[in-house]
Amino acid sequence: MSETRMPVVELVNLSKTYGRRGVRAVRDVSLSVAPGEVYGFLGPNGAGKSTTIRMMLGLIAPTGGEVRLFGQDLRADGSVLKRVGSLVDGGAFYPFLSGRRNLEVVAKTHGGDGARIDALLDQVGLARDSGRKVKGYSTGMRQRLGVAAALLHDPDIVILDEPVNGLDAAGIQEMRALIRGLAGDRGKTVFLSSHLLHEVQQVCDRVAIISKGEIVREAGIHELLRGEAGLRVEAVPLDVAEAALAARWSVERHDGVLLVRATRDDAPEVARRLIGAGAELFGLGLEQRNLEEVFLSITQPETDDA
Amino acid sequence: MLDALSAERLKLTRHKATWFLVWLYPILFFILFSASVLFALTQAGAPARPVTAQAWLGQTAMIWKLPSQTIGRYLIAAYVAVVFAGEYGWNTWKLIVPHRSRVSLIAAKFAMIFLLFLVALALTAAISLLFTWLEGSVRGRPIPAGVTAAAILEAQGRAALSGLAPFLFTLASVSLAAVLIRSMIAALIIGIVLATIEQLFVKLGPFLFVYAPSLVWSLYHALPGYHLANLESWVTNGVALRTLFPDGRIVALDWTTSLAVAAAWTAALAAGTFGAFRRQDIN
Repeated sequence: MSETRMPVVELVNLSKTYGRRGVRAVRDVSLSVAPGEVYGFLGPNGAGKSTTIRMMLGLIAPTGGEVRLFGQDLRADGSVLKRVGSLVDGGAFYPFLSGRRNLEVVAKTHGGDGARIDALLDQVGLARDSGRKVKGYSTGMRQRLGVAAALLHDPDIVILDEPVNGLDAAGIQEMRALIRGLAGDRGKTVFLSSHLLHEVQQVCDRVAIISKGEIVREAGIHELLRGEAGLRVEAVPLDVAEAALAARWSVERHDGVLLVRATRDDAPEVARRLIGAGAELFGLGLEQRNLEEVFLSITQPETDDA
Repeated sequence: MLDALSAERLKLTRHKATWFLVWLYPILFFILFSASVLFALTQAGAPARPVTAQAWLGQTAMIWKLPSQTIGRYLIAAYVAVVFAGEYGWNTWKLIVPHRSRVSLIAAKFAMIFLLFLVALALTAAISLLFTWLEGSVRGRPIPAGVTAAAILEAQGRAALSGLAPFLFTLASVSLAAVLIRSMIAALIIGIVLATIEQLFVKLGPFLFVYAPSLVWSLYHALPGYHLANLESWVTNGVALRTLFPDGRIVALDWTTSLAVAAAWTAALAAGTFGAFRRQDIN
């Protein structure tokens, strides 16, 4: 398989178990990310997102499964991480060094000359503050410096753990544009985790949803939202309408309206059944759920248990 | 590897604690010797006491004895604790580990600590040399007969060699503690406790012998304390360190045995640092 077509990231049954009691933080996670894709990794707190990302970066050793980057098993060849840029933990930096010096440390550690430092500081809006010590930076500034550090060696894939944390509205917008630009104009692959589902919905091509250490859903954004679409029905009497539709689809009653788990193609059949049952139909429309609702519907039962 | 060393240098020379703990020596010696020269100036005209070549050379090379002294071991332990455990405290292993192999990151730390101390102690020795000569000139005291360039080099070399083994042992033991415990304070405390116990045991071994003769005898031979002191004795005086035990037996080992034991301890501890860090999860 040529490198251009091979998945950039492949996780194969990746697992991590901690301690003698065998607490499983991540369980048999498998996914693959195609070149140039912006891939979102979603999950509630403690779901295993950060553990998975740390295994992808060689920070944590998996207890099972494989991380493959550019077709190489990470355990067999750690040098493949040279092609990866990363931001973890909201930009952890040496607090006693300036932003610029921190980037110099990263560049030298990587083996580069740091020629891109000025351009990147400018790109993330830190050119004016680059001489200040990082201990005086706000969370958002650290986050932006973290993005600059991730891009310093012009990596082929960028792994970002909660990249918009601490950013204000303008910063989030800039980050969104930066991420889309990385994938679109520069052909980079981006793997990002975020709890800001609106952002993920706007920038990602595909998403995986992880809960309690397991992938519970993986799909393209459009596929995910289309699959989760429903029909909104206004009919009287409501009981009659609900009984007529519940025989065929899943139905929820909400503020005098029925939400039917059906697709757009089912709309004529819905109308026929309502009329056939003697209900009067006042409104029938497509109810598009956003990613947040989809996410909650998948993870809520489990988070409620927690 | 030069890049990794350069990155380490950038960090270590810009952190207050690591800057201070290495440049403390030349600064302190500069101040002390300057005061000594100033004092000599106030005493101008007074007859100067003659100094032997051995004392003159000893004064110029005394900084190299730092790693052999208890307080010196504490200071080196503090430095190593900050360098290794600092990365956990600042949470910065996550920043650098994906960019380079873990082995080379640890190797760069070892190498840069060694190089910075070498430069700082060499600079301190140069200051000692310059001011010892200056003070003698002010007092009208000639350089003692026998102090030649070759004699100075030999004295400096011997003194540096005598501090090498305890320096490397401290570096290896405290780095392992820092990697395992991930705390600067805890690593420093362990370094201090180790240095204290190890040096006390060399002196107290014969007294403890009466309580558990065979155990103390074995430990005295197996632990690094005696061997580090014995190596220093061989390098400085050319003879073994003699320790008399209550049953009349004497421990006075040849330098090759002590070198082998001290090297084995240091290598094992350093390998432990590499091994522990290679397998460690950076959470």
